[in-house]
Amino acid sequence: MKTLLLALFALVGAGCVVVPQNRRARLADPMMAMAPDALETHQKQKFYSTREGAAGGDGAAAGGGCACQ
Amino acid sequence: MLAAAAALSAAAPARAADPGPAFSDTDILGAPPPYFRFESVSLRFTRFDQTGTGYQSRAGPKGGPGSEALAVDEAQLEVVAKQGERITYRLWVPVDIVTAASPDSIDVVSSASRQNEAASVDLTTIYEASPVTSLSVRNGLHNEENWRSWNTSLGVTRSFAEDNTVVEAGVTQISDWFDKYTLAGAHDGHTARSSTSGSLGVTQILSPTTVGHVDYGLTLQRGQLSNGWNIVPLTSGGVALEVLPEGRVRHALSGRIAQWLPWNGAAHAAYRFYVDDWGIRAHTVDLELYQRVASVAYLRFGYRFHRQTGASFFHTRVERDFTIATADSDLAAFDAQTLGAKVAVDVPVRFARSLHVDVGADRYFRTNDLRVNVFSCGFGLLF
Repeated sequence: MKTLLLALFALVGAGCVVVPQNRRARLADPMMAMAPDALETHQKQKFYSTREGAAGGDGAAAGGGCACQ
Repeated sequence: MLAAAAALSAAAPARAADPGPAFSDTDILGAPPPYFRFESVSLRFTRFDQTGTGYQSRAGPKGGPGSEALAVDEAQLEVVAKQGERITYRLWVPVDIVTAASPDSIDVVSSASRQNEAASVDLTTIYEASPVTSLSVRNGLHNEENWRSWNTSLGVTRSFAEDNTVVEAGVTQISDWFDKYTLAGAHDGHTARSSTSGSLGVTQILSPTTVGHVDYGLTLQRGQLSNGWNIVPLTSGGVALEVLPEGRVRHALSGRIAQWLPWNGAAHAAYRFYVDDWGIRAHTVDLELYQRVASVAYLRFGYRFHRQTGASFFHTRVERDFTIATADSDLAAFDAQTLGAKVAVDVPVRFARSLHVDVGADRYFRTNDLRVNVFSCGFGLLF
């Protein structure tokens, strides 16, 4: 948990650096997308949430909508 | 001075007769996009083949464990369209065909329903209130053999510092109505479940080659949280329906970072910590490595590790007078691993901006006897 909080603070601290738009070409590559394909993301979310006791933390509800735990 | 005034008055009639520029705005900037237009159409087909055993299944010897063999064919359609400059629609239709060994109570008395079909219709509307703020509304209906579900969500996204920081927040309500069955498989009326969720996420550009994301989600569930047909073996030799608590509070905190690699690749690393009031704590690590192999194609290799503790009321055998108990292997303590690979191609075509095709396979395996092979292929047109 401490490591996670440190990472969180590092992330927020790094927010002070502004990268101009003309230097974001690498970030625009599909390989850098956080969720490259909405349908594949759903497929994975459903697969794991129906087979594991843990879910959530990805913007989606952790449960409901299916005959699963 | 007089000479200048005379020259100006002489030039005035010439300006009035000017026919105007030879090029219009459309010639220079191109035709404005149509008011309603399709942005993309995507299709995905996935096949899940599962084998393994669990004490919640009736497809086995008395006292279990029973088979968890399962096959799912899933097709998904997504259409994204834009209306004007500010409104975007996303229509999503997933269809599942599930063939199971014998998980549901109807199969206890009849094998007529060994194949179940499930379908959803889900529409998201996104309104761009300003160049930095978007609002979204999402509604969906889900229908399957003995299950009806409605979900609705509200979301807001705001970007700061020239889009270097994007903050997202959302709330979701999912309401489920489903049939109850007795242990013998007879219909026993209806029941309901409510799941209310809130999430807050921040995406931050960290450098010209690095981006990070953190997310927190809280989900509160009430109602009948068991699916209605899972069983618990009894010490006396019989079985009973599982009984779960009527509420559940679930927290999940996750972080993800993506780093561009100088050899035309990318690496993603993600971690999630999960805890709930059923006694489950979980740590999940997800690693992905991308490598571009041509200007239009890339490969992805993935590894995921998940470790969870079991629910405090998980037992593979209980006394007849138990109050709360489950034998569901998904709520047990276990480690799970996933290995996967995918190849994706994006090529420009004559009738669209690009055509996307990808093919992938994953192997999921757990320490408590569950294995799943997943095969998936996706097609998309970006207009």
